[in-house]
Amino acid sequence: MSATDQAHAPSDEEVSQELGLLGELGATVLDLLEGARGMYSVLVRTLYYAAYGRREPGALVHYMYEIGNKSLFFLTVVMGFIGMILVYQAGVQAKRVIPDLTLLGATYLELLIRDLAASIGALMMATRVGAGIAAEIGSMVVTEQTDALRMCAADPIDYLIKPRFFASVVMTTVLIIWSAAVAFTAGMVTAYSFFDVAPRTFCNLSLVDAGDLTVGLSKCVAYGAAIPVVSGYCGLSTFGGSEGVGWATTRAVVNSSLAVIILNFFISGAGVFLFP
Amino acid sequence: MGESLLEMAETAGGMGVLFGRILVRLARLRFDGAEFLRSMYKMGVKSVPIVIVTALFTGGIMVIQAAPIVKRYGAQGLLGWGAGFGTLREIGPLLTALMLSGRVGANNTAELGTMVVTEQIDALRALAIDPISFLITPRFLAFILTLFLSTLYADALALLGAAYAGKGLLDVEPSVFYNGLTSGLLNFGDVAVGLIKSVVFGIIMALASCHFGLAVKGGAPGVGRAVNATVVASAAGIFVLDYFVSFGISG
Repeated sequence: MSATDQAHAPSDEEVSQELGLLGELGATVLDLLEGARGMYSVLVRTLYYAAYGRREPGALVHYMYEIGNKSLFFLTVVMGFIGMILVYQAGVQAKRVIPDLTLLGATYLELLIRDLAASIGALMMATRVGAGIAAEIGSMVVTEQTDALRMCAADPIDYLIKPRFFASVVMTTVLIIWSAAVAFTAGMVTAYSFFDVAPRTFCNLSLVDAGDLTVGLSKCVAYGAAIPVVSGYCGLSTFGGSEGVGWATTRAVVNSSLAVIILNFFISGAGVFLFP
Repeated sequence: MGESLLEMAETAGGMGVLFGRILVRLARLRFDGAEFLRSMYKMGVKSVPIVIVTALFTGGIMVIQAAPIVKRYGAQGLLGWGAGFGTLREIGPLLTALMLSGRVGANNTAELGTMVVTEQIDALRALAIDPISFLITPRFLAFILTLFLSTLYADALALLGAAYAGKGLLDVEPSVFYNGLTSGLLNFGDVAVGLIKSVVFGIIMALASCHFGLAVKGGAPGVGRAVNATVVASAAGIFVLDYFVSFGISG
């Protein structure tokens, strides 16, 4: 249905071909604005249904299992390796400048809590969870299951996105705290085996303050909220057959990773000014 | 547990076999040049904007994160060195690979998966055209080349972003930053390590995306699942290989 509509109406691409470079730029900007509007509308409707919609604890638990427990292994492997790489590289370099490695653990822990655990963990969640959400919702759109929901006077956002949204906010926070622990332990083992830094010296909480914790936790919540909204929007705007589902999944991964990086930039910037 | 282990072994085996087949085609120079150029355009040119945005923001974030440490030690002069080291060796290749695994790898899987679902690959076989030399090998090469080139300019852009974030946040003049970058603590080896990593990541990502694309079963949901599997496998592969390359080179 939508495919034939597009055949008649001139698409953005055709218009931009007539208008040249400037038109192409304009079409890109229009695309971006439309995407932003769509995501904003998904977010607002999710929050609206959170307040006034149905309560379904069963679905919430199901999606928490899907999003959280099934990503646990993947996240643990990735964060373990990341922890080893980071401490190894930092140790080798720091030795060239300051031979004293006693503060390595404290600095690493501060960076981990403030930024790295949340950001790298969320990038991984964006690929794992974002792609999953978009693929599921996208194939529902293609097989007209969402249209069937609308016919039953049920908004797909209430049924499909709202439970995923809350499941993702909770599980992203939990998983990121877990992945910080994994990365820290891996770093501790690396520091002990390569640089002879005793685990007792490495576990140094002196540099972590309330500001770091606030920034880190607000990042968890922001990323956890952004991933299902962005990828849910990408899934709902699927059109066409299997190719469309592929496209939607691709866009979900790219856009939610970009959302994580851009949010990171702004939250980190705000953190520097709020907690100097 | 055992099931997932078997699944992993199956994936690794499939990718290994695919790699072998691609290498045979490469050694005999039997691949489609026109398809290679098309893939280069689709993969390389089309992902320029996303790499630029990622690199600039990443450079900025690195300096924001390093700011408290730099202030604590009063090491403004070392900012260029620190950012340069982190970017060239780790963050540049890693983040470029992660973004491209979403943009290019997932896209490639979706395309190949659609071809499988609509039986276009079988049609190629029926016409006695080898799908691996016609479709897969050009994409494989184009993917690696794209990642290599993107890492080159992403490194440069991330350092630019870091330099200006340093000026805005820490009042470190860009000239001081560039001085720290070129004063001898960093050398071509650091750049080379990043570029070697980008090639290794390119190989694993191209293999994962082609393997899962060709293994699609069952219509539109199958394509979605395959794309999901590709990004997960690419991300895990990137980090695990990153570890081994880092150790292998400096150890």
